[in-house]
Amino acid sequence: MKKRSAISVGVYLFLILSALFTLAPLLLALINSFKSNGEILTNVLSLPKQINFDNYARSIEKMHYLRSLGNTAFLAVGGVGLIVLFSALAGWKLCRTKTKLSRFLLSLFIFSMLIPFSSIMIPLYKVMLALDIKNSLLGFCFVYAGLGVSMAIFLYHGFVKGIPRELEEAAAIDGCSPLQTFFRIVFPMLKPVTATICITNVLWIWNDFLLPLIVLSDNKKYTLLLSTNTLFGQYSSDWSAILSALVIAALPVIVFYALLQKQILKGITDGAMKG
Amino acid sequence: MKSSSAQLARNSKTRKQNLSLLLFTLPALIVYALFKLYPAFSGIYYAMTDWNGVDKTYSFIGLQNFIRVLRDTYFWQSILFTFKYVFVMVIVANIVSLTLAVAIETRRRARGVFRTVFYLPNMISMVIGGYMWMFIFTKVLYYLVDNFNGFSFLDHMWIGDPQYSFVAIIIVATWGAVGYLMIIYMAALQGVPESMKEAAVLDGANAWQRFWKVEFPMIRHALTICVFWTLNAAFQVFDVIYTLTGGGPGRATQSAAINIYEEAFRGNIQFGYATAKSTVLFLIVLVITAIQLSVMKRREEEL
Repeated sequence: MKKRSAISVGVYLFLILSALFTLAPLLLALINSFKSNGEILTNVLSLPKQINFDNYARSIEKMHYLRSLGNTAFLAVGGVGLIVLFSALAGWKLCRTKTKLSRFLLSLFIFSMLIPFSSIMIPLYKVMLALDIKNSLLGFCFVYAGLGVSMAIFLYHGFVKGIPRELEEAAAIDGCSPLQTFFRIVFPMLKPVTATICITNVLWIWNDFLLPLIVLSDNKKYTLLLSTNTLFGQYSSDWSAILSALVIAALPVIVFYALLQKQILKGITDGAMKG
Repeated sequence: MKSSSAQLARNSKTRKQNLSLLLFTLPALIVYALFKLYPAFSGIYYAMTDWNGVDKTYSFIGLQNFIRVLRDTYFWQSILFTFKYVFVMVIVANIVSLTLAVAIETRRRARGVFRTVFYLPNMISMVIGGYMWMFIFTKVLYYLVDNFNGFSFLDHMWIGDPQYSFVAIIIVATWGAVGYLMIIYMAALQGVPESMKEAAVLDGANAWQRFWKVEFPMIRHALTICVFWTLNAAFQVFDVIYTLTGGGPGRATQSAAINIYEEAFRGNIQFGYATAKSTVLFLIVLVITAIQLSVMKRREEEL
């Protein structure tokens, strides 16, 4: 029994130290974000002498926080909305139709999942240039939809396989058009997998850095990450400005996580196991 | 006569089904073709041109870009660096996350709290995480060295010295990736039937033997998923390196994605040539993931 509890204490100690290590960057950023640069220099580890929001006021203004936040939210909501709508329509019909064409289209959608983004980014840049959507947030939503539908169709297709088609057939007999059947009967049934798709794609788009970095040139359209990155470039040694910017840049995802933790962890597991 | 009319009816039914199928897949198909398929295929063409991204005109130059890629030592250095990074990440990230998953699974009450904490970095962009770590590497560690005894082992140029900046990159990337892998391992561990573990306890197996003989074989599929995911993510590594070192000092920590980015969007804008590089990168990734999947699938089946 004694040996047992020694092991138990050891495991706890290991977990607690790992947790501290995990949280250290966030906690250090948080406590130092309230200090002046002089105070950071004299003591990084202590709590701030006073809670002073000057740094935050400065970084909110410098990184155009609200505008950047709005832009990012627009991309995430718009992109995910399109992905869900397009993929649910396609995934459902692809699963219910059994023809050569349906098999071809499904493999066409799935085969590109392995192509790394860096392999297509330059031609994609050219496409966005040609379509004149280089600085259009709405255009970006459609680009994210194009990049995201493969995985989502794959997940929807797999999910539809598991639901009986009697309800759809009954609706068709009652005179529902295919579109009506989809929106009234099918789409509500897809809710669990829709949740998974929403969560994984919101996080992907929210945290995507490379695509906006190479394409967006109008700083009024900058996302949170681009604004943070720009601020870092301009104030590279002004840590009190940078740390407060990092804290508020991380804040939306932390709040999102705090509110929807269960769904997020479940969505991530489901997405990973099937993908 | 009868059979052919039946066939006609079937054909027209198929045609109707296909038409409806096309209508439903059209929105997805359009964005997918425009922003994924077309870039992927036109990339192969651009890779054979001298397009510089600015001029409207460019000409076809065949395989010249690819020949140049073969001779580009900076590119191969970045590929080599990427391999080194992928290799270390696959091992470190998976060992750390599996260890955490096993440790958490032994706890009943605190399981939820630890899972929440360890997954948190995964939510945050590596751009933000990278800059937060930058603060630690350039300010906090020196503070520890200067003010406390016993921390002199931390006294290195974490960002400026290539050897240590590699370690710094691995630390930050592992910090960011572990939560995701841990969640997958935990789900797999929960799938191991309680009766098997109990049987092993009755047979007198200790915790170490129980893990390797009972649980580990049962979570092989999770290992395949996690190694596959780490491989894929690591080959494309960009954000962490961009924020921490920018590929420097010099080109010492330049990954393939950073090298392509620099070629295409910084300084010497050579889109055609950069596209040739990205095609080569794609082929390398393809071959390696194919090998990894077939090897690990076979191992799983053998068990």
